[in-house]
Amino acid sequence: MMNDQSVRLDRMRFTKNTTSSRLVLLAIVLDALYFVSLYRINLDYYYNMMMGASILYNLVFMLAAFLASEGVKNYKQSFSGVLCVLGVIQIARIFILPVPAHQTTVTVGGVELLAMSNGQFTRAVIYLVGSAACLFVAAVINFTKSRALQAHIAGLEGQKA
Amino acid sequence: MAQLSLQHIDKIYDNNVQAVYDFNIDIKDGELIVLVGPSGCGKSTTLRMVAGLEDISRGNLLLDGRDITRAPAKDRDMAMVFQNYALYGHMTIYENMAFSLLLRKEDPNVIHKKVLAAADILGLTSQLNKKPSQLSGGQRQRVAMGRSIVRNPKVFLFDEPLSNLDAKLRGATRREILLLHKRLNATMMYVTHDQTEALTLADRIVCMSMGHVQQVGTPLELYDSPNNTFVAGFIGLPPMNFFDVTFENGALHGKGFEVALSDEEKATLANYNRKAITLGVRPEDIAEGGTLAVKVFSNENLGMNTLVHGHMGDNIRVTAKLRGWTDYKNGDTVQLGFRRKHFFDKETTNAIRKGDR
Repeated sequence: MMNDQSVRLDRMRFTKNTTSSRLVLLAIVLDALYFVSLYRINLDYYYNMMMGASILYNLVFMLAAFLASEGVKNYKQSFSGVLCVLGVIQIARIFILPVPAHQTTVTVGGVELLAMSNGQFTRAVIYLVGSAACLFVAAVINFTKSRALQAHIAGLEGQKA
Repeated sequence: MAQLSLQHIDKIYDNNVQAVYDFNIDIKDGELIVLVGPSGCGKSTTLRMVAGLEDISRGNLLLDGRDITRAPAKDRDMAMVFQNYALYGHMTIYENMAFSLLLRKEDPNVIHKKVLAAADILGLTSQLNKKPSQLSGGQRQRVAMGRSIVRNPKVFLFDEPLSNLDAKLRGATRREILLLHKRLNATMMYVTHDQTEALTLADRIVCMSMGHVQQVGTPLELYDSPNNTFVAGFIGLPPMNFFDVTFENGALHGKGFEVALSDEEKATLANYNRKAITLGVRPEDIAEGGTLAVKVFSNENLGMNTLVHGHMGDNIRVTAKLRGWTDYKNGDTVQLGFRRKHFFDKETTNAIRKGDR
Protein backbone atom coordinates (compact mmCIF):
# COMPACT_ATOMS: atom_id res chain seq x y z
CA MET A 1 0.00 0.00 0.00
CA MET A 2 1.29 3.47 -0.90
CA ASN A 3 1.15 6.23 1.66
CA ASP A 4 0.01 9.74 0.76
CA GLN A 5 3.54 10.94 0.09
CA SER A 6 4.32 8.15 -2.35
CA VAL A 7 0.91 8.56 -4.03
CA ARG A 8 1.71 12.25 -4.47
CA LEU A 9 5.02 11.30 -6.06
CA ASP A 10 3.45 8.61 -8.17
CA ARG A 11 0.88 11.08 -9.47
CA MET A 12 3.72 13.05 -11.02
CA ARG A 13 4.31 10.16 -13.44
CA PHE A 14 1.04 11.07 -15.14
CA THR A 15 0.45 14.74 -14.35
CA LYS A 16 2.26 17.81 -15.65
CA ASN A 17 4.27 20.26 -13.61
CA THR A 18 1.71 22.97 -14.17
CA THR A 19 2.90 25.10 -11.23
CA SER A 20 6.30 25.76 -12.78
CA SER A 21 4.87 26.07 -16.25
CA ARG A 22 2.29 28.66 -15.17
CA LEU A 23 4.87 30.64 -13.23
CA VAL A 24 7.00 30.89 -16.36
CA LEU A 25 3.98 32.05 -18.36
CA LEU A 26 3.35 34.68 -15.68
CA ALA A 27 6.99 35.76 -16.03
CA ILE A 28 6.38 36.27 -19.76
CA VAL A 29 3.30 38.38 -19.03
CA LEU A 30 5.24 40.56 -16.56
CA ASP A 31 8.00 40.97 -19.12
CA ALA A 32 5.46 42.09 -21.69
CA LEU A 33 4.06 44.64 -19.22
CA TYR A 34 7.58 45.97 -18.61
CA PHE A 35 8.21 46.23 -22.32
CA VAL A 36 4.95 48.07 -22.97
CA SER A 37 5.63 50.47 -20.08
CA LEU A 38 8.90 51.56 -21.72
CA TYR A 39 7.04 53.39 -24.47
CA ARG A 40 5.85 55.94 -21.94
CA ILE A 41 9.39 57.25 -21.43
CA ASN A 42 9.62 60.96 -22.24
CA LEU A 43 10.73 62.10 -25.66
CA ASP A 44 13.41 60.37 -27.68
CA TYR A 45 15.35 58.82 -24.83
CA TYR A 46 14.29 55.33 -25.81
CA TYR A 47 14.44 55.82 -29.57
CA ASN A 48 18.05 54.91 -30.28
CA MET A 49 20.02 51.76 -31.07
CA MET A 50 18.90 50.25 -27.78
CA MET A 51 15.36 50.01 -29.03
CA GLY A 52 16.17 47.46 -31.73
CA ALA A 53 18.27 45.41 -29.32
CA SER A 54 15.55 45.59 -26.70
CA ILE A 55 12.87 44.36 -29.13
CA LEU A 56 15.08 41.53 -30.31
CA TYR A 57 15.90 40.47 -26.78
CA ASN A 58 12.22 40.48 -25.82
CA LEU A 59 11.42 38.17 -28.71
CA VAL A 60 14.26 35.84 -27.70
CA PHE A 61 13.19 35.98 -24.06
CA MET A 62 9.58 35.14 -24.81
CA LEU A 63 10.54 32.24 -27.09
CA ALA A 64 13.08 30.83 -24.65
CA ALA A 65 10.76 31.24 -21.69
CA PHE A 66 7.87 29.60 -23.53
CA LEU A 67 10.01 26.63 -24.54
CA ALA A 68 11.25 26.39 -20.96
CA SER A 69 7.65 26.42 -19.70
CA GLU A 70 6.93 23.42 -21.90
CA GLY A 71 10.12 21.75 -20.69
CA VAL A 72 9.39 22.20 -17.01
CA LYS A 73 5.83 21.01 -17.62
CA ASN A 74 7.39 17.62 -18.36
CA TYR A 75 9.80 17.73 -15.40
CA LYS A 76 12.88 18.29 -17.59
CA GLN A 77 15.56 19.14 -15.04
CA SER A 78 17.87 20.97 -17.45
CA PHE A 79 15.27 23.68 -18.02
CA SER A 80 15.69 24.80 -14.42
CA GLY A 81 19.12 26.10 -15.44
CA VAL A 82 17.66 27.93 -18.44
CA LEU A 83 15.08 29.59 -16.17
CA CYS A 84 17.79 30.70 -13.72
CA VAL A 85 19.80 32.29 -16.54
CA LEU A 86 16.71 34.09 -17.84
CA GLY A 87 15.94 35.27 -14.29
CA VAL A 88 19.43 36.70 -13.82
CA ILE A 89 19.14 38.55 -17.15
CA GLN A 90 15.78 40.01 -16.06
CA ILE A 91 17.44 41.44 -12.95
CA ALA A 92 20.36 42.74 -15.04
CA ARG A 93 17.93 44.50 -17.37
CA ILE A 94 16.96 46.83 -14.51
CA PHE A 95 20.42 48.36 -14.77
CA ILE A 96 20.50 48.47 -18.57
CA LEU A 97 17.53 50.77 -19.18
CA PRO A 98 15.32 51.77 -16.20
CA VAL A 99 18.16 52.88 -13.88
CA PRO A 100 19.99 55.08 -16.48
CA ALA A 101 16.65 56.50 -17.70
CA HIS A 102 15.64 57.29 -14.14
CA GLN A 103 18.94 59.14 -13.61
CA THR A 104 18.74 61.11 -16.86
CA THR A 105 16.92 64.40 -17.33
CA VAL A 106 15.46 65.73 -20.55
CA THR A 107 14.09 69.18 -21.36
CA VAL A 108 10.48 69.35 -22.52
CA GLY A 109 9.15 72.82 -23.45
CA GLY A 110 11.84 74.43 -21.41
CA VAL A 111 11.06 72.23 -18.39
CA GLU A 112 13.64 69.75 -17.18
CA LEU A 113 12.11 66.31 -16.47
CA LEU A 114 13.35 62.82 -15.63
CA ALA A 115 13.42 60.61 -18.75
CA MET A 116 11.68 57.94 -16.65
CA SER A 117 9.50 59.26 -13.85
CA ASN A 118 9.57 57.78 -10.35
CA GLY A 119 6.27 55.99 -10.87
CA GLN A 120 7.32 54.53 -14.20
CA PHE A 121 10.66 53.44 -12.76
CA THR A 122 8.98 51.71 -9.80
CA ARG A 123 6.58 49.87 -12.10
CA ALA A 124 9.36 48.79 -14.47
CA VAL A 125 11.43 47.46 -11.57
CA ILE A 126 8.43 45.64 -10.12
CA TYR A 127 7.69 43.99 -13.49
CA LEU A 128 11.28 42.86 -14.00
CA VAL A 129 11.82 41.72 -10.41
CA GLY A 130 8.42 39.93 -10.48
CA SER A 131 9.29 38.27 -13.76
CA ALA A 132 12.69 37.16 -12.41
CA ALA A 133 11.12 35.91 -9.16
CA CYS A 134 8.61 33.79 -11.09
CA LEU A 135 11.43 32.29 -13.13
CA PHE A 136 13.54 31.48 -10.04
CA VAL A 137 10.63 29.93 -8.15
CA ALA A 138 9.60 27.91 -11.22
CA ALA A 139 13.20 26.70 -11.57
CA VAL A 140 13.43 25.63 -7.92
CA ILE A 141 10.05 23.86 -7.96
CA ASN A 142 10.90 22.07 -11.18
CA PHE A 143 14.33 21.04 -9.89
CA THR A 144 12.89 19.66 -6.66
CA LYS A 145 10.01 17.85 -8.32
CA SER A 146 12.03 16.38 -11.15
CA ARG A 147 14.63 15.01 -8.73
CA ALA A 148 11.93 13.49 -6.55
CA LEU A 149 10.25 12.00 -9.62
CA GLN A 150 13.51 10.53 -10.87
CA ALA A 151 14.15 8.93 -7.52
CA HIS A 152 10.59 7.57 -7.40
CA ILE A 153 10.85 6.07 -10.90
CA ALA A 154 14.24 4.56 -10.01
CA GLY A 155 12.61 3.05 -6.92
CA LEU A 156 9.77 1.58 -8.98
CA GLU A 157 12.21 0.11 -11.48
CA GLY A 158 14.21 -1.32 -8.60
CA GLN A 159 11.06 -2.98 -7.24
CA LYS A 160 10.31 -4.47 -10.67
CA ALA A 161 13.83 -5.81 -11.00
CA MET B 1 -25.77 -1.97 -5.73
CA ALA B 2 -28.54 -0.66 -7.98
CA GLN B 3 -31.96 -1.73 -9.08
CA LEU B 4 -33.47 0.14 -11.95
CA SER B 5 -37.16 0.17 -12.72
CA LEU B 6 -38.68 1.56 -15.90
CA GLN B 7 -42.44 1.86 -15.51
CA HIS B 8 -44.72 2.61 -18.46
CA ILE B 9 -42.15 4.83 -20.12
CA ASP B 10 -43.25 6.72 -23.25
CA LYS B 11 -41.26 9.09 -25.39
CA ILE B 12 -43.20 11.57 -27.51
CA TYR B 13 -41.22 14.26 -29.32
CA ASP B 14 -42.46 17.82 -29.79
CA ASN B 15 -43.61 17.01 -33.32
CA ASN B 16 -45.90 14.29 -31.81
CA VAL B 17 -43.75 11.44 -33.11
CA GLN B 18 -43.79 8.68 -30.51
CA ALA B 19 -40.45 6.87 -30.31
CA VAL B 20 -41.08 4.59 -27.34
CA TYR B 21 -44.37 3.01 -26.22
CA ASP B 22 -45.07 1.75 -22.71
CA PHE B 23 -41.59 0.44 -21.87
CA ASN B 24 -41.58 -1.66 -18.71
CA ILE B 25 -38.74 -3.54 -17.09
CA ASP B 26 -37.32 -4.15 -13.63
CA ILE B 27 -33.54 -4.51 -13.82
CA LYS B 28 -32.06 -6.44 -10.94
CA ASP B 29 -28.87 -5.49 -9.15
CA GLY B 30 -25.82 -6.61 -11.14
CA GLU B 31 -27.86 -7.55 -14.18
CA LEU B 32 -26.72 -6.85 -17.72
CA ILE B 33 -29.70 -5.93 -19.88
CA VAL B 34 -29.24 -5.63 -23.62
CA LEU B 35 -31.66 -3.58 -25.71
CA VAL B 36 -31.60 -4.95 -29.23
CA GLY B 37 -33.50 -4.06 -32.36
CA PRO B 38 -33.13 -2.54 -35.80
CA SER B 39 -32.23 1.12 -36.36
CA GLY B 40 -34.98 3.49 -35.29
CA CYS B 41 -36.67 1.05 -32.92
CA GLY B 42 -36.24 3.32 -29.89
CA LYS B 43 -33.50 1.50 -28.02
CA SER B 44 -31.02 4.40 -27.92
CA THR B 45 -33.85 6.80 -27.05
CA THR B 46 -34.74 4.58 -24.10
CA LEU B 47 -31.13 4.52 -22.95
CA ARG B 48 -30.86 8.29 -23.27
CA MET B 49 -34.02 8.70 -21.22
CA VAL B 50 -32.50 6.53 -18.51
CA ALA B 51 -29.29 8.60 -18.65
CA GLY B 52 -31.26 11.84 -18.41
CA LEU B 53 -30.21 13.06 -21.84
CA GLU B 54 -33.82 12.92 -23.07
CA ASP B 55 -36.95 13.87 -21.17
CA ILE B 56 -39.36 11.11 -20.26
CA SER B 57 -42.77 12.04 -21.70
CA ARG B 58 -44.78 9.64 -19.54
CA GLY B 59 -44.01 7.00 -16.94
CA ASN B 60 -41.60 6.67 -14.06
CA LEU B 61 -37.94 5.80 -13.70
CA LEU B 62 -36.86 4.48 -10.32
CA LEU B 63 -33.32 3.87 -9.11
CA ASP B 64 -33.24 1.83 -5.92
CA GLY B 65 -36.83 2.88 -5.33
CA ARG B 66 -36.06 6.60 -5.70
CA ASP B 67 -37.97 8.41 -8.44
CA ILE B 68 -35.40 9.98 -10.78
CA THR B 69 -37.77 10.62 -13.70
CA ARG B 70 -37.15 14.37 -13.64
CA ALA B 71 -33.67 14.33 -12.07
CA PRO B 72 -30.90 15.97 -14.14
CA ALA B 73 -28.34 13.66 -15.71
CA LYS B 74 -25.58 14.69 -13.30
CA ASP B 75 -27.62 13.61 -10.27
CA ARG B 76 -28.49 10.14 -11.54
CA ASP B 77 -25.20 8.45 -10.65
CA MET B 78 -24.98 6.74 -14.02
CA ALA B 79 -22.09 6.57 -16.46
CA MET B 80 -22.52 6.33 -20.19
CA VAL B 81 -20.14 4.91 -22.77
CA PHE B 82 -20.75 6.23 -26.26
CA GLN B 83 -20.16 4.72 -29.67
CA ASN B 84 -17.71 7.47 -30.63
CA TYR B 85 -15.77 7.24 -27.30
CA ALA B 86 -16.19 11.01 -26.57
CA LEU B 87 -12.61 11.37 -25.28
CA TYR B 88 -10.82 14.71 -24.97
CA GLY B 89 -8.17 14.68 -27.68
CA HIS B 90 -5.84 17.18 -25.99
CA MET B 91 -5.72 15.25 -22.71
CA THR B 92 -3.71 12.15 -21.91
CA ILE B 93 -5.47 8.89 -21.09
CA TYR B 94 -4.79 9.50 -17.39
CA GLU B 95 -6.29 12.99 -17.59
CA ASN B 96 -9.29 11.72 -19.54
CA MET B 97 -10.00 9.11 -16.91
CA ALA B 98 -9.45 11.50 -14.02
CA PHE B 99 -11.37 14.41 -15.51
CA SER B 100 -14.85 13.73 -14.14
CA LEU B 101 -13.44 13.22 -10.63
CA LEU B 102 -11.41 16.44 -10.86
CA LEU B 103 -14.60 18.30 -11.73
CA ARG B 104 -16.14 16.87 -8.56
CA LYS B 105 -13.12 18.21 -6.67
CA GLU B 106 -12.16 14.82 -5.25
CA ASP B 107 -8.82 14.40 -3.48
CA PRO B 108 -6.12 14.05 -6.20
CA ASN B 109 -4.54 11.12 -4.32
CA VAL B 110 -7.87 9.27 -4.27
CA ILE B 111 -8.36 10.06 -7.97
CA HIS B 112 -4.90 8.68 -8.70
CA LYS B 113 -5.65 5.41 -6.94
CA LYS B 114 -8.99 5.05 -8.75
CA VAL B 115 -7.46 5.76 -12.16
CA LEU B 116 -4.62 3.28 -11.61
CA ALA B 117 -7.07 0.62 -10.43
CA ALA B 118 -9.33 1.15 -13.46
CA ALA B 119 -6.33 1.17 -15.82
CA ASP B 120 -5.16 -2.08 -14.27
CA ILE B 121 -8.56 -3.71 -14.81
CA LEU B 122 -8.63 -2.59 -18.44
CA GLY B 123 -4.96 -3.23 -19.23
CA LEU B 124 -4.26 0.44 -19.89
CA THR B 125 -1.49 1.05 -17.36
CA SER B 126 1.20 1.41 -20.00
CA GLN B 127 -0.94 3.79 -22.07
CA LEU B 128 -1.74 6.37 -19.40
CA ASN B 129 0.65 9.02 -20.70
CA LYS B 130 -0.52 8.73 -24.30
CA LYS B 131 -3.09 10.83 -26.11
CA PRO B 132 -6.26 9.18 -27.48
CA SER B 133 -5.01 9.65 -31.06
CA GLN B 134 -2.11 7.31 -30.25
CA LEU B 135 -4.44 4.43 -29.31
CA SER B 136 -6.39 1.92 -31.38
CA GLY B 137 -10.18 2.00 -31.49
CA GLY B 138 -10.46 -0.85 -29.01
CA GLN B 139 -8.09 0.84 -26.59
CA ARG B 140 -10.00 4.12 -26.88
CA GLN B 141 -13.22 2.34 -26.07
CA ARG B 142 -11.51 0.81 -23.03
CA VAL B 143 -10.50 4.33 -21.96
CA ALA B 144 -14.14 5.39 -22.29
CA MET B 145 -15.08 2.45 -20.08
CA GLY B 146 -12.31 3.32 -17.65
CA ARG B 147 -13.66 6.84 -17.38
CA SER B 148 -16.96 5.31 -16.31
CA ILE B 149 -15.39 2.84 -13.90
CA VAL B 150 -13.50 5.49 -11.91
CA ARG B 151 -16.77 7.22 -11.12
CA ASN B 152 -18.06 4.02 -9.54
CA PRO B 153 -21.58 4.72 -10.78
CA LYS B 154 -24.65 2.77 -9.80
CA VAL B 155 -25.52 1.97 -13.41
CA PHE B 156 -23.38 1.68 -16.53
CA LEU B 157 -25.02 2.60 -19.83
CA PHE B 158 -23.47 1.51 -23.13
CA ASP B 159 -24.74 2.98 -26.40
CA GLU B 160 -23.49 0.73 -29.20
CA PRO B 161 -19.91 0.89 -27.90
CA LEU B 162 -18.50 -1.59 -30.40
CA SER B 163 -20.03 -0.25 -33.60
CA ASN B 164 -16.90 1.67 -34.61
CA LEU B 165 -14.59 -1.33 -34.27
CA ASP B 166 -13.65 -3.89 -36.86
CA ALA B 167 -14.97 -7.43 -36.52
CA LYS B 168 -11.93 -8.91 -34.78
CA LEU B 169 -11.58 -6.07 -32.30
CA ARG B 170 -15.30 -6.12 -31.67
CA GLY B 171 -15.11 -9.72 -30.57
CA ALA B 172 -12.16 -9.04 -28.27
CA THR B 173 -13.72 -5.92 -26.73
CA ARG B 174 -17.02 -7.75 -26.29
CA ARG B 175 -15.27 -10.37 -24.22
CA GLU B 176 -13.62 -7.62 -22.19
CA ILE B 177 -16.99 -6.04 -21.43
CA LEU B 178 -18.29 -9.41 -20.32
CA LEU B 179 -15.29 -9.92 -18.03
CA LEU B 180 -15.67 -6.40 -16.74
CA HIS B 181 -19.31 -7.05 -15.89
CA LYS B 182 -18.38 -10.21 -14.03
CA ARG B 183 -15.60 -8.43 -12.17
CA LEU B 184 -17.57 -5.33 -11.21
CA ASN B 185 -20.92 -7.10 -10.86
CA ALA B 186 -22.49 -3.79 -11.82
CA THR B 187 -25.93 -3.07 -13.20
CA MET B 188 -25.56 -2.39 -16.91
CA MET B 189 -27.80 -1.40 -19.80
CA TYR B 190 -26.35 -2.04 -23.21
CA VAL B 191 -27.78 -0.97 -26.56
CA THR B 192 -26.87 -2.73 -29.77
CA HIS B 193 -28.34 -3.69 -33.10
CA ASP B 194 -26.00 -6.68 -33.26
CA GLN B 195 -27.77 -9.82 -32.11
CA THR B 196 -24.46 -11.62 -31.55
CA GLU B 197 -23.52 -9.01 -28.94
CA ALA B 198 -26.95 -9.32 -27.41
CA LEU B 199 -26.87 -13.10 -27.18
CA THR B 200 -23.32 -13.31 -25.83
CA LEU B 201 -23.46 -10.46 -23.31
CA ALA B 202 -26.94 -10.32 -21.91
CA ASP B 203 -28.41 -11.72 -18.76
CA ARG B 204 -31.69 -10.66 -20.31
CA ILE B 205 -32.49 -9.20 -23.70
CA VAL B 206 -35.14 -6.62 -24.53
CA CYS B 207 -36.02 -6.97 -28.18
CA MET B 208 -37.64 -3.82 -29.62
CA SER B 209 -39.31 -2.86 -32.86
CA MET B 210 -40.96 0.43 -33.86
CA GLY B 211 -40.81 1.70 -30.27
CA HIS B 212 -42.56 -1.35 -28.82
CA VAL B 213 -41.00 -4.01 -26.64
CA GLN B 214 -41.49 -7.28 -28.47
CA GLN B 215 -40.05 -9.64 -25.89
CA VAL B 216 -38.02 -9.60 -22.70
CA GLY B 217 -36.18 -12.73 -21.72
CA THR B 218 -32.93 -14.60 -21.44
CA PRO B 219 -30.96 -15.10 -24.67
CA LEU B 220 -32.06 -18.73 -24.73
CA GLU B 221 -35.72 -17.80 -24.28
CA LEU B 222 -35.57 -15.38 -27.19
CA TYR B 223 -33.77 -17.87 -29.38
CA ASP B 224 -35.76 -20.93 -28.38
CA SER B 225 -39.20 -19.50 -27.73
CA PRO B 226 -39.64 -16.27 -29.65
CA ASN B 227 -42.89 -14.46 -28.87
CA ASN B 228 -43.62 -13.48 -32.45
CA THR B 229 -42.31 -13.55 -35.99
CA PHE B 230 -40.33 -10.32 -35.47
CA VAL B 231 -38.27 -11.75 -32.61
CA ALA B 232 -37.96 -15.08 -34.39
CA GLY B 233 -36.65 -13.35 -37.51
CA PHE B 234 -34.39 -10.90 -35.70
CA ILE B 235 -32.65 -13.29 -33.34
CA GLY B 236 -30.59 -15.93 -35.09
CA LEU B 237 -28.18 -15.83 -37.98
CA PRO B 238 -29.05 -16.61 -40.72
CA PRO B 239 -32.62 -15.59 -39.86
CA MET B 240 -35.44 -18.08 -39.44
CA ASN B 241 -37.24 -19.40 -42.53
CA PHE B 242 -40.95 -18.58 -42.59
CA PHE B 243 -43.51 -20.53 -44.61
CA ASP B 244 -47.22 -19.89 -45.11
CA VAL B 245 -48.94 -23.21 -44.38
CA THR B 246 -52.32 -24.64 -43.42
CA PHE B 247 -52.77 -27.20 -40.66
CA GLU B 248 -54.98 -29.98 -41.92
CA ASN B 249 -55.27 -33.72 -41.26
CA GLY B 250 -52.37 -33.71 -38.84
CA ALA B 251 -49.89 -32.17 -41.27
CA LEU B 252 -48.84 -28.78 -42.55
CA HIS B 253 -49.62 -28.05 -46.17
CA GLY B 254 -47.69 -25.35 -47.99
CA LYS B 255 -47.49 -24.40 -51.65
CA GLY B 256 -46.21 -27.55 -53.22
CA PHE B 257 -44.88 -29.17 -50.06
CA GLU B 258 -46.16 -31.00 -47.00
CA VAL B 259 -44.63 -31.29 -43.55
CA ALA B 260 -45.49 -34.09 -41.17
CA LEU B 261 -45.89 -33.28 -37.49
CA SER B 262 -45.20 -35.10 -34.25
CA ASP B 263 -48.02 -35.82 -31.81
CA GLU B 264 -46.84 -32.99 -29.58
CA GLU B 265 -46.83 -30.52 -32.47
CA LYS B 266 -50.30 -31.67 -33.48
CA ALA B 267 -51.46 -31.05 -29.92
CA THR B 268 -49.99 -27.54 -30.04
CA LEU B 269 -51.95 -26.80 -33.20
CA ALA B 270 -55.11 -28.54 -32.03
CA ASN B 271 -57.07 -25.29 -32.12
CA TYR B 272 -55.82 -24.31 -35.57
CA ASN B 273 -57.31 -27.12 -37.63
CA ARG B 274 -57.80 -25.98 -41.25
CA LYS B 275 -56.41 -22.58 -40.47
CA ALA B 276 -53.56 -20.75 -42.11
CA ILE B 277 -50.54 -20.27 -39.88
CA THR B 278 -46.88 -19.33 -40.30
CA LEU B 279 -44.33 -22.09 -39.88
CA GLY B 280 -40.89 -20.98 -38.72
CA VAL B 281 -37.80 -23.14 -39.01
CA ARG B 282 -34.29 -22.03 -38.11
CA PRO B 283 -31.66 -22.85 -40.76
CA GLU B 284 -29.73 -24.85 -38.16
CA ASP B 285 -32.86 -26.95 -37.50
CA ILE B 286 -32.86 -28.22 -41.07
CA ALA B 287 -30.95 -31.41 -41.76
CA GLU B 288 -30.18 -33.62 -44.72
CA GLY B 289 -32.20 -36.78 -45.22
CA GLY B 290 -35.81 -35.62 -44.90
CA THR B 291 -38.78 -35.74 -47.25
CA LEU B 292 -38.59 -32.21 -48.66
CA ALA B 293 -36.95 -31.85 -52.05
CA VAL B 294 -35.00 -28.62 -52.25
CA LYS B 295 -33.47 -27.35 -55.47
CA VAL B 296 -30.18 -25.68 -54.57
CA PHE B 297 -29.21 -22.32 -56.04
CA SER B 298 -26.34 -21.38 -53.72
CA ASN B 299 -23.86 -23.24 -51.53
CA GLU B 300 -21.80 -21.17 -49.04
CA ASN B 301 -19.07 -23.02 -47.16
CA LEU B 302 -18.29 -21.52 -43.76
CA GLY B 303 -15.81 -24.17 -42.68
CA MET B 304 -17.64 -25.96 -39.89
CA ASN B 305 -21.03 -25.44 -41.55
CA THR B 306 -22.44 -24.87 -44.99
CA LEU B 307 -25.28 -22.52 -45.86
CA VAL B 308 -27.42 -24.05 -48.56
CA HIS B 309 -29.96 -21.78 -50.21
CA GLY B 310 -32.64 -23.29 -52.40
CA HIS B 311 -36.29 -23.48 -53.39
CA MET B 312 -38.85 -26.08 -52.47
CA GLY B 313 -42.45 -26.66 -53.57
CA ASP B 314 -43.78 -23.75 -55.63
CA ASN B 315 -40.61 -21.69 -55.59
CA ILE B 316 -40.60 -21.26 -51.77
CA ARG B 317 -37.22 -20.04 -50.66
CA VAL B 318 -35.42 -21.92 -47.88
CA THR B 319 -32.01 -21.58 -46.22
CA ALA B 320 -30.42 -24.50 -44.41
CA LYS B 321 -27.33 -24.50 -42.22
CA LEU B 322 -25.90 -27.95 -42.67
CA ARG B 323 -23.14 -29.40 -40.54
CA GLY B 324 -19.82 -29.97 -42.24
CA TRP B 325 -18.66 -29.21 -45.75
CA THR B 326 -21.06 -29.81 -48.62
CA ASP B 327 -20.51 -29.04 -52.28
CA TYR B 328 -23.93 -28.76 -53.85
CA LYS B 329 -24.00 -27.21 -57.29
CA ASN B 330 -26.60 -24.84 -58.64
CA GLY B 331 -29.57 -26.98 -59.75
CA ASP B 332 -28.82 -29.98 -57.52
CA THR B 333 -31.75 -31.40 -55.59
CA VAL B 334 -31.24 -32.29 -51.96
CA GLN B 335 -33.63 -34.02 -49.54
CA LEU B 336 -34.03 -32.04 -46.33
CA GLY B 337 -36.11 -32.38 -43.19
CA PHE B 338 -37.26 -29.97 -40.48
CA ARG B 339 -36.30 -30.87 -36.91
CA ARG B 340 -37.50 -28.10 -34.60
CA LYS B 341 -40.51 -26.11 -35.74
CA HIS B 342 -42.03 -22.84 -34.52
CA PHE B 343 -45.66 -21.93 -35.18
CA PHE B 344 -47.06 -18.41 -35.42
CA ASP B 345 -50.57 -17.06 -35.76
CA LYS B 346 -50.86 -15.61 -39.23
CA GLU B 347 -53.02 -12.67 -38.14
CA THR B 348 -51.34 -11.60 -34.90
CA THR B 349 -47.85 -12.95 -35.76
CA ASN B 350 -47.67 -14.22 -32.17
CA ALA B 351 -46.22 -17.62 -31.35
CA ILE B 352 -48.68 -20.47 -30.99
CA ARG B 353 -48.05 -22.40 -27.84
CA LYS B 354 -49.81 -25.42 -26.44
CA GLY B 355 -53.32 -24.49 -25.26
CA ASP B 356 -53.54 -21.24 -27.28
CA ARG B 357 -57.00 -20.28 -28.59
